[in-house]
Amino acid sequence: MLRKLTPYLFVAPLVAFIAVFTYVPILTSLNLSVRNWNFLTPDMPFVGLENYRLLISSRDFWNALWVTTLFTVFSVPIRLFLALIVASYLARETFVSRLLRGALFLPFVTSTVSIAVVFSWVFATDYGLINPVLGWFGIGKVAWLQDPALALWVLIFVNTWKQIGYDVVIYIAGLQAIPQELYDAAAIDGGKRLHVFRRITFPLVMPTTYFLLVVSVIEAFQVFTIVNVMTHGGPAGATDLLVHMLYRIGFVLFDIGQGSALAVMLFVLLVTLALLKSRLIGRKVHYEA
Amino acid sequence: MLRTLKTISLAGALAGLLVAGGATIATTAAHADVTVKFWHSFKGGNGKALDEIIQKFEAANPGIHIEGENVGDYNDIVAKLQAAIPAHRAPDAVIMEVTRYGLFAEHGVLTDLTPYVDADPLKDNLFDYAREIGVYNGKNYIVPFNSSTAVLYYNKDILARAGYTTEPPLKSFDDILKVAKTITEKLGSEGITGIAAPGQFARWSLIMSNDSDLIDSKTGDILIDKPGTVDAYKWMSSLVYKEKVASADGVTDEDNGKKAFLAGKVGIMLNSTGDYGGAKKAIGDNLVVRPMPCNKVCRVAIGGAGIGILSSSPREVQDAAYKFISFAASPESNATWFAATGYMPINKLTAAQPVAAQALATEPGIDVAIQQLDFARGRPRPPVVTWMRATEYDMWQAMALGQRGVEETLKDFAERTRQEATRVTN
Repeated sequence: MLRKLTPYLFVAPLVAFIAVFTYVPILTSLNLSVRNWNFLTPDMPFVGLENYRLLISSRDFWNALWVTTLFTVFSVPIRLFLALIVASYLARETFVSRLLRGALFLPFVTSTVSIAVVFSWVFATDYGLINPVLGWFGIGKVAWLQDPALALWVLIFVNTWKQIGYDVVIYIAGLQAIPQELYDAAAIDGGKRLHVFRRITFPLVMPTTYFLLVVSVIEAFQVFTIVNVMTHGGPAGATDLLVHMLYRIGFVLFDIGQGSALAVMLFVLLVTLALLKSRLIGRKVHYEA
Repeated sequence: MLRTLKTISLAGALAGLLVAGGATIATTAAHADVTVKFWHSFKGGNGKALDEIIQKFEAANPGIHIEGENVGDYNDIVAKLQAAIPAHRAPDAVIMEVTRYGLFAEHGVLTDLTPYVDADPLKDNLFDYAREIGVYNGKNYIVPFNSSTAVLYYNKDILARAGYTTEPPLKSFDDILKVAKTITEKLGSEGITGIAAPGQFARWSLIMSNDSDLIDSKTGDILIDKPGTVDAYKWMSSLVYKEKVASADGVTDEDNGKKAFLAGKVGIMLNSTGDYGGAKKAIGDNLVVRPMPCNKVCRVAIGGAGIGILSSSPREVQDAAYKFISFAASPESNATWFAATGYMPINKLTAAQPVAAQALATEPGIDVAIQQLDFARGRPRPPVVTWMRATEYDMWQAMALGQRGVEETLKDFAERTRQEATRVTN
């Protein structure tokens, strides 16, 4: 009997941890999403799908979904492309490449709030650092954080700058796992650098790309701190990403029901995206050389 | 063996009894003192002034300990309080912004202080505005502590460098625009702008001075799309978008305008009297304080916050908390607070206190807020105000940055506010 129980006892702490910190909150959100509550009332009346209806009929929701989609569609490919290029140059084990890897990884472990505060000053229109530099070249002031067409790009830049170190490190691990013999064979066959990259490196690093794609899409959909510190979702909603909208509904307007409904919708969206990626890309990933 | 076990059990039981007894004694001793957990929003110089008041109160009331904690700005306090209430971790007393306590009063979170205030001689000494500001639906829920109005600050040195050897008129929207334009034209090449984009508190006052409001204080009607409000927003947004005399940096982050003024990069700033201490420290004798413009009428919004007591706290803690509130509003404490921060006196006897009299004599401009008391008005505080204020930032940005027309934006904003008001009321 004890022998049968032993494996369950070993996994019990982890199961309990995941249940308490993952599944209970998910189920609680699901429950709150069909209720009307603002933290203050002792009762939470059941309102069915009303919170979902209100969200879907709100302009702010569709704006946030559109802005988040734009952010993801542009930031993820840029991040992965740059990370792969940089990783290709830093994959060799030299002193300089190790130093550069460390330098690139630093922003990833730096406080996001600090990074956002510094960049909000760097990109300030009248009091910032970039515009005077542009002024030396005769370029007029650019309203980086006030122009709706630019503000999102600034956030994409800052997020890429912060996250790229992580992507590079993972890519380097993936690149170093590619057998050297393949490159040697390609060299004997006279393969050019770009050809080798397209035919050997890129396909064999696909498992890493796929992993980073999944992780970075989830991360892009959950970006909050940079938005909250640098733009507060502005100007006029141009950078109001979904999680920032969720925070605003839940913790500024105190509509916990609608906030939870948005959290559930975001959860469903991310799961659907993960399944789609698995269907469309997952099958094309080669795990063996 | 059995005897040994019996001896150990008996010793254990005795030890248990002793521990339990000790705990009971300790609990009884703890009950002799009352601790009031008090959440506030003050740091720096303002925090020090509050600490001084707390220390004096504790010295005068040895049985009461005030556990003050700065938990962030007004928004943070509201957010943290809402999260703390269901977790049963709410404080006993809390600073609440004057337009946002209505929601908490409506849900019974705040104690009705009417019996306390009615029995307190303090009541007769409070200014009318200070008595009115804490009343919601006929009951008193907060007693003001840090009351403020918006005032006009300008940097004397910047105006002089822009060619103003004597003070120009600053009484109407046109007057202010004219000065801001001159400063920007003359000193723009040095990175100096004429005026800081008005923050939400100043915007509300400017709307009032244009003989309008956002919500009718008496009827609760939404006035966002009324001509007076629309015209005021047209003027405010023109400062940034059309006239370019205010930096757009202050539109997306209102603190930027204040920081630039304190750094000597802005000529005029419309902001709270509570910024007096910081501004004085930053630009010294170059700071000049004047009343807000009277564009159509002389009227300014009263801001700041008051202290409320949580209904979840035990009665003896509520009593102790009210003692502290009353002490903080006393002439002596209020004078300390006024002299250190520039926040308005709430007590009619404050100005006669030596500390306040000295501040009035030696700190030019600190009396401007008092001069404005005659036409200072409380702002409406129905539950929809929280939503309206949160949404107004987006609307303001759209107008000030020229993304949407003022009339179109305010029409839409008014409609949405009416819908939300209906929703939160139901």
